[in-house]
Amino acid sequence: MNEAHEITRILFEGFSNWSIYLFYVIGYTAIGIFLYGVYVQIRKYRRGKPDASWGEFFARFKDMCKTMATHRTLKRRDKSAGRAHALIFFGFVLLFIGTATITLEYDILEPLFGITFWYGDFYLWFSLVLDLAGVGLIGGLLYMMYRRKWLKLPKLDYARPDREPGDPDYDRSGYRREDWAFLWALILIGFTGFLLEAARLVWLSETATVWDYRWWSPIGALMAHVMAGLGMGAEAAGNFRTGLWWFHGVLALAFVALIPYTKVKHIFTASASLMFRDPMAGKRLPSVPEDQEDIGIKTITDLTWKQLLHLDSCTKCGRCHEACPATAVGAPLSPRDVILSLREFANKSLQSKELPEQAELDVHGKDVGQVFMETLWSCRTCMACVEICPVAIEHVPIIVQMRRKLVDEGNMEPILQKTMQSIHKNGNSMNESKRKRPRWTKELPFTIKDARKEPVDVMWFVGDYASFDPRNQVVTRSFAKLMKQAGVDFGLLYEAEMNAGNDVRRVGEEGLYEFLANANISTLEKCDFNSIVTTDPHSFNTIRNEYPDFGGEFEIQHYTTLLKQLFEEGKLKLNKKLDYRVTFHDPCHLGRYNKGYDAPRELIKLLGCELIEMDRNRDNSFCCGAGGGRIWIPDPVGIEKPSENRMREAAEIEELDVFIVSCPKDLTMFEDALKTAGYEGKFVVKELIELVNECVEFDEVEVIDADVVSA
Amino acid sequence: MKILVAVKEVAALDEDFEIRDDQLDVDEDFLLYDLNEWDDFSLEEAMVIKESSDTEVEVVVVSVGPERVDDVLRKCLAKGADRAIRVWDDAMEGSDSVTIGRILSAVVEKEKPDMVFAGVQSSDEAAGSTGISLAASLNWPHAAVVAGLEYQPGSNKAKITRELEGGLSQEVEIDCPSVLTIQLGINTPRYASLRGIKQAAAKPVDEISLSDLGLSESDVGVDAALSRVRRMYIPEKGMASMIEGTPAEQAAKLAEIIREFKGE
Repeated sequence: MNEAHEITRILFEGFSNWSIYLFYVIGYTAIGIFLYGVYVQIRKYRRGKPDASWGEFFARFKDMCKTMATHRTLKRRDKSAGRAHALIFFGFVLLFIGTATITLEYDILEPLFGITFWYGDFYLWFSLVLDLAGVGLIGGLLYMMYRRKWLKLPKLDYARPDREPGDPDYDRSGYRREDWAFLWALILIGFTGFLLEAARLVWLSETATVWDYRWWSPIGALMAHVMAGLGMGAEAAGNFRTGLWWFHGVLALAFVALIPYTKVKHIFTASASLMFRDPMAGKRLPSVPEDQEDIGIKTITDLTWKQLLHLDSCTKCGRCHEACPATAVGAPLSPRDVILSLREFANKSLQSKELPEQAELDVHGKDVGQVFMETLWSCRTCMACVEICPVAIEHVPIIVQMRRKLVDEGNMEPILQKTMQSIHKNGNSMNESKRKRPRWTKELPFTIKDARKEPVDVMWFVGDYASFDPRNQVVTRSFAKLMKQAGVDFGLLYEAEMNAGNDVRRVGEEGLYEFLANANISTLEKCDFNSIVTTDPHSFNTIRNEYPDFGGEFEIQHYTTLLKQLFEEGKLKLNKKLDYRVTFHDPCHLGRYNKGYDAPRELIKLLGCELIEMDRNRDNSFCCGAGGGRIWIPDPVGIEKPSENRMREAAEIEELDVFIVSCPKDLTMFEDALKTAGYEGKFVVKELIELVNECVEFDEVEVIDADVVSA
Repeated sequence: MKILVAVKEVAALDEDFEIRDDQLDVDEDFLLYDLNEWDDFSLEEAMVIKESSDTEVEVVVVSVGPERVDDVLRKCLAKGADRAIRVWDDAMEGSDSVTIGRILSAVVEKEKPDMVFAGVQSSDEAAGSTGISLAASLNWPHAAVVAGLEYQPGSNKAKITRELEGGLSQEVEIDCPSVLTIQLGINTPRYASLRGIKQAAAKPVDEISLSDLGLSESDVGVDAALSRVRRMYIPEKGMASMIEGTPAEQAAKLAEIIREFKGE
């Protein structure tokens, strides 16, 4: 039996002193290059504006560890890539821990305190675990190579929709080369590691403390048998091992040294990005302090350090590129390319020792590396990109803050200018007189309470489209009847209601948003009510998530949850069921923004409809194209609109009867798209309220009849 | 180098409105005020010249009207105008475009700009004559309905494109300083953000009175005007009817109406 102490790997076995010194010189140089690179990056981030995300440090850290351990975000919508990444990640982490353990013993504990532990059983289990880690790493890398080379995924195509082929900044083949260099470097490090293990076994095949325990490193042992079988002797293996040792060692150290200079840095930046994620990103846009003169992002240094960090965490996985409705219809915007453009800009201007002139830091414009105005205005702020990003990049707040600068400088489409002016003047986006807002109530058989004059239980915030648009008014009146039927004590703000401002804020017209939010909050605060209900997800979002920043703390729900509640409490009853085959479109501001995925579906089931989901549903719902103020800017003719794209998707459902929406803007957008995309007559677009209305038992008429009979 | 831009606060009618008791105008309660649409374009034209010039260009906006006019002047300041002047005296009430032109010419003589822009017309009264009467008062060269402008600040000539009827354009070379009335579509006016307007509230609007301009009460107001409003009213509706049917039927119907008119 061998002494446990003898079962280990002797480091630098057979090395002369000078070659050990040489190795240490190379090692320290690598660490030096690494540290300098880290310094340059940190200097870059520090050139950004401050951000208060350091709060709740431990909660954030825990959350980051959880996300990384589960690989939850990486597995979404691309399970195989997520799993392969997990193999690489955990393989890499274990191998790193392994190397660090050896360093701990050899360079610290043993020379300083004479403590050793890397022998015997611990050493053997260590060998086994690291062998398996190596297999995971190589397996994951092989899948990634296969995926890049043969799967031809559109999301991995780096073609930019915001530039034309031939433009100086169109070409992104550099990224592709880097991707492959990364994969090859890691796989070579892993593979030569195994080869090295095998060569050592053959070389020391006469040493019992090595050879007898070879199966604790099964891959190495297997390869050693192959080598020996091919006729490699102990001496040849020893020589081979020396050459290979240096190749493996220098490659691994070079890899470490280059981390901060290449995409490998995502090891750190993506983790940090996850840690500093803002769960409210995009749902609650940042307010501008009153004393702050400048607004929005004009120069690269107007981004916060956190935003600069986000830019660096992008690994070009393309999930946002795939989810973006603007990209899908060929608009000159891909969220990925906005991030990459800004990153390239930051790297070019903020990594140098001296900060360039202010004029050279302007990220807006038509020059190489700048972001085009058309790109920014193409965004629908639907949040599909932010929602799916596996490393928590917050694209939408960056885009909106860049728009704020455009608005501040007066760069806005004339047609949008008119809408903004109308909202300022009349409080609504329809260029209608304030007095017209409550006109839809006139056709109701009853009067709705004026919540400004008497207390109500539920305040109904109606919103522009539901108030003014004739098609939506039908729905609005139906909802009034449903609430009346359920005995809800509700009221309106009548003429005093103003556009809630959600989309105005997402256009980037922050001053007008502040005006609207303050006006509505002050009106609401003068009224006596318990909670707010709205049929408009846009108003819902801003009142729920953004008004609190302006002192307006209100309890608000979307009508879908209120109706569900009224059915559960028995206040609404069905008198028939519907046998429609339906599909449901999640409105961005109800679904992705506020996670209201279930209430509408439960209502649909309650009505007896057969719900067939479209491929893109719930968190992956495809924006109708109206968000972020785009409802006020006509889409270019000749290319497919997002709403038409969605109709095409719905039409794939066989024998579809109804395309259900639960947002006034959706009703407008999709009824229009149904016609323009040529599906009129195939199925219809309806508000969920209309379907509920079809089968709710209204007793008012019967009561009147009963009275007549009894009289 | 200075460009003076004459702007007007125009009134738009609210949905329901009433005529004033004296029947000379709409009751002010039913009016919504804003910057005249044409003036957005003339100010933008001045701003474009200012921003693309190597030499210092000052853009001064001027308007004739009571205190509420400050709102539109602030909007112009928010868009980047350097200074704003508001001229008013109660005696100016009832001035027509000729008298307004006279008042503005006094401002021009005081400010000595190198160029004066005005809108082709105002969207409320649509006389289209203020800019031109200003030029007449000054005895300056002028061009109306300018749809294109090439002008180097400080130059004594400008090349302009005028929009004529029937889809024609006319290229004109004009001596400067001159008065140009600017047409819609000559450029893309910028947006005045609400924050910008708020910040402009801190900027001063120079108030100028009659005496500052060396004018007397008899030069302005309703008595000095060459035209006076006699009555404002809503014309009777229902005087027109749509002729429908095939072209032949429409022609027959039209002939019948003409014969009826002629009393046949």
